[in-house]
Formats: sequence, C-alpha cells, structure tokens
Amino acid sequence: MTLEARLGDPWAAGNPVGFAAVVRADERGRLLAEGERLLDDYGLNRDFVPRDLGGRLGDVSRMARSLRPVFRRDTSLGLGYGVTSFMAAVNVWAAGDDAQRRWLAGLLCRGGRAAVCFHELAHGNDLANQEFEAVRRDGGLALRGRKEVINNADRAGALVVFARTDPRRGGRSHSLLLLDPATLPPGRVHRLPRFGSAGMRGCRLGGLRFDDCPVPAEAVVGGEGDGMETALRAFQVTRAVLPAMAIGTLDTQIRVTARFALARRLYGAPVTDIPHVRSVLAGAFADALVGDCLSTVASRALHLLPREASVYSAAAKYLVPKLLLDAADRLALVLGARSYVREGEYAVFQKNLRDLPLLSLGHAGPANCQATIISQLGALAHRSWPSGDYEAPASLFQSGRELPALRYEDLGLSARGRDPLSASLVAGSAAVGEDNAAVRGLAAALVAELGALKTRVLELPPRDRTPAGRRVAFTLAARYALVLAGSACLNVWLHGEHRQDRFTGDDTWVVAALHRVAERLGIRSGPLPPYAADRLCAEVIARCTDPHSLDLDNVPLSG
Amino acid sequence: MNTTVPPPEGAESQERMRAWLTDRVAAYLDKSPDDIDPRLPLAEYGLDSVYAVSLSGDIEAHLGLEVEPTMAWDYPTIEAIARYLCGETLEGPRP
Repeated sequence: MTLEARLGDPWAAGNPVGFAAVVRADERGRLLAEGERLLDDYGLNRDFVPRDLGGRLGDVSRMARSLRPVFRRDTSLGLGYGVTSFMAAVNVWAAGDDAQRRWLAGLLCRGGRAAVCFHELAHGNDLANQEFEAVRRDGGLALRGRKEVINNADRAGALVVFARTDPRRGGRSHSLLLLDPATLPPGRVHRLPRFGSAGMRGCRLGGLRFDDCPVPAEAVVGGEGDGMETALRAFQVTRAVLPAMAIGTLDTQIRVTARFALARRLYGAPVTDIPHVRSVLAGAFADALVGDCLSTVASRALHLLPREASVYSAAAKYLVPKLLLDAADRLALVLGARSYVREGEYAVFQKNLRDLPLLSLGHAGPANCQATIISQLGALAHRSWPSGDYEAPASLFQSGRELPALRYEDLGLSARGRDPLSASLVAGSAAVGEDNAAVRGLAAALVAELGALKTRVLELPPRDRTPAGRRVAFTLAARYALVLAGSACLNVWLHGEHRQDRFTGDDTWVVAALHRVAERLGIRSGPLPPYAADRLCAEVIARCTDPHSLDLDNVPLSG
Repeated sequence: MNTTVPPPEGAESQERMRAWLTDRVAAYLDKSPDDIDPRLPLAEYGLDSVYAVSLSGDIEAHLGLEVEPTMAWDYPTIEAIARYLCGETLEGPRP
C-alpha cells in the first residue's frame, strides 16, 4: 500500500492519523505516536538509505517528492521522524568508510534515528566558529562541549557530530564523527533538557554535553580536517530536498483554505466567488508551482550538474521557504479567525503556520544561503551571464527521467562561474512561440533582469562580496534566486513531460508562475491576470473536490 | 577594476602573484595593500571559509588558472597561495 493510502483521509473523524489527531498531538507537544508507528511499518527510513546499502535512495528529487504525503499530513512528523536522520546520514553517505556506511544503513533500515549534532547555541549556523572540540587523546579523541537544539538527541541510535579538531581558523579545522551513543562511557555524556518551541512542538529538540568523552579514532568520518568540506557538500543535498518536501505543507494550507472558502457563504454565495479570495488561492497555488519547479530542478542538478549545483540548492533553500511562508500568511487572511484557532476543522492550518518558519531556521538559514550565492556572484557575472558556456540538459527539467547516480565527491563547493540554468533561461526565452505571447513577455523581462544584475554585480566593490559586505549584495543574491526560479518554471514548461496533462500542458500555469516571480522582482505589478487567477482557482477547487496534489505531479490523494 | 594578468612565468612570477593577490585581498577588505601581511592567514583577516571559495573563483576569472574551490583552505596565506600557483604553472621543478 502506498504511503498516501496508509495515511488515509485526513478529514475522517476516526482516522488515527487524520488532521484532528495531528493537532491533538501537537497540543501535547508530542509527535503523533500512530504516525510514527505508521512510518515504522512503512519503513520510511529506507527512502534515506542508498540502494547499494539496502535502502531505496537513488534519485534524491524523487525521494523528496515521496516525502510530500508526510509533509501534507504533519510537517513536524516529517521533520521529526526522518528528515533530520537524512540530514545526518548524508554526511556519512558522502564521506564515510564502508564500515560506517553499513552500520548506519543497518540502523536506519531497522527504524533507528540519527541525530545531526552540529548546532551550538552560541554560534548557530556559523559552523566555522564553533567551539565544540575533539582533542587527540590516547590514540583516539576526547570530546568536549555542548550541542543544543538537536532533534532526537535523546533517542537517536547514531550521532553525527561536527567538532573542531584544530584551534586555528580555517576550512580544515573541523572533523565529523559518527558515534554510537550506547558505546559512550557513562558519566562522560549527559542529555540536556529539551527545548520547547513555538512550532514543530512535537519534535524533541534536546542537547548533549560531552565532558572529556573518549571516542575511538575510527569515529572520524572521512579524514581529520574534512568536516567543513563534507558538511558543505551534504548541505547542498539537504538544501535542495527539504524545500521540495515542504511543498506538501503549502498544499495543505491551500487545501484547508479552499475547503473553508467553499463551505462558507457571504453575500449569498460561497466565499470562493469573491475575486480577492480567488486571487489569493490562485496566487498561493502559483507559488507552490514556482517552489516545486525550483526545488525539483535544484535536486536534479545534484545528479546532472554536480559541479554547478551549489548555487541552485542555495537559491532553493533561500527562496522556497520564503514563498511558502508568505503564501501561508496571505491564506491566513482568508481564513480569518480560523487561521489561529487551535481546535476545530481547520486547526491544522495554525499548526503549519507555526511549523513552517522552523524549516528555515533549524537548518541552513536564509542568510547562510545568500552568503553562498554572494560569494559566487562575481564569478557568475563575469564568466556566464547572460548566456554562458552551455545550457542545462533538457533532462534537468523532466522529473520522470532516470538520473545518473549522485556522486558526492563531484559536488563542487563553488560553481566557479558556470551557470547553465541561467543560460537555459536565455535559450528558453528565445524558444517560446508567438502563440504564447504572455510567456514570451515575462521570459524576456527575466532575461533583461539578468542583464541588469550582471551590470550591478560587476560594479560591486569586492568588499561587498564578503561577509562584511553591505546589504546590496544580499539584495542582488535574492534577485538572482528569483531569476533562477523563473528559469526553472519556464524550462519545466518547455521541456517537461507534463505537456499531455490538461492543466500543465496549457501555458496558463507558467504565466501565473512567472508573473509571481516578476512581481517579487518589481518588474510586474498587481495581481495575476484575471483569466489566470480564474483558471488556477478553478484548478485548486477541482483538486480539493477530487483530491489531487497541488503540485506539478498532480497525484491522487486520499480523502 | 577587472584587470586580467597574464599567467606568471619565470623567477619573478611569485613576486607578481603575491602582489596581485595582496591587491585583491586589500580590495576585499577595503584596506591599503601595505596593510596586508602575506604571511598572515587570510582567516585572521576575517575572510572565512566561504570567502576563500570565492577567491578561487577570482583567480580563475582573472588569471585563467583553474583551482579547486578549497585551495585557499590548504594554502591559507597569500605567500602560500602564490607559491602554489606558481608551482602549478612552471614547466620546471617547483621552487
């Protein structure tokens, strides 16, 4: 049985994993026990383990989309049950030796959890300045320090720990360690109290304090000093896939709002007749499609364009959570009081409103992602913009096509100025036919924006491209992320396999998606063109009435 | 601002490379090149691991030399980078 079928109708009163049960568990600050059991039975962890180690992980973009049923149902279950295990495990898939990989794979396939122990309260996402240290001792290492706000710290069977192994500043001063907490000497590691949180309330955000805790030298993942490089590679993967999963959360927000709007009557008709409401529903759906395009393209790029993918995953992690949050806030206005009431039919909405912000902060936050892009802007503008050396292959935009294996060692920490996705924007724009005048106009506007960005980037004093830079670099990085999103949407429409579908085969969705992007850039203003708003709103209602997912795949849902 | 320096050749190449790198780093820091010590790790100037990656992009863009993004992690001072880059391009044995 598929995961979606097991989860069943979310609205059914008796469903032990329906929305009502999800909200009740959240109220108690617990993960839904029935939900965890269901995911255990389904063996969800196998989705995070590579095929050659006994799991199902091959294509990371397919894996991300396969998590959407969980994120549609319970975002904190998605994060708390498994995604943080994946975030830890990626480091070991990338750099672990055979013994480490096999051990972790076995643990995950048996339903165990891995905790990603990177975060320190004093340093947040600033990995380079972390203080938690591992010093040489008796042929092994001794660990000292605290890791806090760590999901599943108290119940993980594996810990992936980021530690300083050299006091000097620099990129070779940290190492990753894979630990089995059951083998750590008692009294040398202490569990720290759980942190309560406004969102993801069921997630067990604990901590660990290590007091000169001895660990064997074999605990090091990769070589000593490889920690930063491995972590940055692993981040590229998780930055692309996490937003792709989170599209499921916006799906639910739209669905709940539409359900409310269909049932509620004002001025003698359903609320869905009100033009502003139609516009909000359509706009949120368009935003979900933009997020789907960008995150899917970024995930596929890891396989197809490993040297160039670092910028795309940073752009996805920066932009997509923002799109999701902003869309959810606008939907909240339609729901009115139901957007914050913690009980009743629509209560899952307020839970998601509280859960969504943590998806960004608990992992590489927006500033980190922008910093990644900023550090590469100069090279990109100089070497590639606008048309670059080469375009992306068409298969980048065809989500059903088989992908070559993900080769972690090929993931470049810098694209060094190469930018096939931007080159594809220019090529794609030229390929749009005259029948699609609206698409042509929007695509041309994005190409012009890329040209304008090039000028502005090349004018930037070098200092503005460093961590000490002024705000302007952040603005340019944000604009560039939007241009990439536009390229993803345009090229998914041009090359994607969905052309046979009644909805995605038409150009209305891409007009809407590109309009949303252009609006954020300030190169278009106002709501969607009325025909697009009507078409998308009608599609939202259709996919709510005959439940289908609010993304490109348009899969049937339970309910 | 975007001067392209021809690939270094000969014994004076390291000196020229050091000067180019010093100018570049000084520009990033908004300081005078005289204030930059080529033997001090760049990280001590606040140029962190992420920035180091962008320096490799600059080297490729302006000098035409392809280097690993992590090059500045393994050669953390201007002097070390200059030695490494000149060793890369010299036909003969590395100095």
